[in-house]
Amino acid sequence: MEVGQMQRRLVDYTKSLFMEGFLDAQFLQLQQLQDESNPDFVVEVVSLFFDDSEKLLNDLTMALDQPNVDFKKVDAHVHQLKGSSSSIGAQRVKNACIAFRSFCEEHNIDATLRCLQQVKQEYYLVKNKLETMLRLEQQIVAAGGSIPMIELGFWRTINMKGGKE
Amino acid sequence: MAPTLPSNDQASDQDNWDNGRLARKRQLLTEIVLRNRLTALVVDGDTTCRVLEQLLLRSYGVQTQGVDNGRDAVAFIASGVKFDLIIIDMILPVLNGLEATRQIRDMGVHCKMLGVTVCSGESERQAFLAAGVDVFIEKPLDPEHLVPILRELDGQLFVESGPLVMYW
Repeated sequence: MEVGQMQRRLVDYTKSLFMEGFLDAQFLQLQQLQDESNPDFVVEVVSLFFDDSEKLLNDLTMALDQPNVDFKKVDAHVHQLKGSSSSIGAQRVKNACIAFRSFCEEHNIDATLRCLQQVKQEYYLVKNKLETMLRLEQQIVAAGGSIPMIELGFWRTINMKGGKE
Repeated sequence: MAPTLPSNDQASDQDNWDNGRLARKRQLLTEIVLRNRLTALVVDGDTTCRVLEQLLLRSYGVQTQGVDNGRDAVAFIASGVKFDLIIIDMILPVLNGLEATRQIRDMGVHCKMLGVTVCSGESERQAFLAAGVDVFIEKPLDPEHLVPILRELDGQLFVESGPLVMYW
């Protein structure tokens, strides 16, 4: 596949992630912070997010598996996951955490268990999407191409401030 | 190596792509030019958030240090290190953000403190402001909130050091 085609595929794929709500404007901030002095910044931060999140999800699973659930602890973990997911722009994970926290406040075991499943699902979805996107980028760079930017007009059509002039 | 451009459509796409990247960088860089070397302490228990906040500050030329818990933040300040700006989360390991903020203020430290947290309720906002932060920001920390604050801090230092430096 020639570079132009790969670039078009990447642009379409990236656009779909924003349109489907997997990523929000915060992810654009990340991309803007990547430059010659930080060429792998996005990959590094996303990997950090994956490592942190997997640990948090394990901790959450264990915490909710206890005979006497410590909801304060559960809430602290979800709080952290909400923070990191919102910081990288993983919108659906962030939203799943919001619901999770409200059920923690109610000390509702069944609902929090359901939320945990929901969060895990959203996390694995966005992880998969990001890995695919980053792999496409790597292929383009390896073939000697540059990573395309999405035209500013796109952001206006999906009503996002990330692409303002 | 540039990709091949067999049609007019692709030519304008390529221009958009390159110009978009350049325009985006210019936007980020010209948003603010600091005349002074500002320093900031970032206090956040979550690695991803802390790294991102430090990098965002660094992209504006701010020198940053990071700690991952409230107790170390207080100890750092108590050791006499001065910062122009402290960014602190509300929920922190060891010593929480509210208590850490109170202790830092009790030491007589008057620098700008931003409470940057996931909690978004009014009661949390009031509590954090009452503990001593100057501004309450819901995560994620973004340029829209940060840039005016950096400009203000930079301007204050400019006034103190005298009118020798041209602002542009």
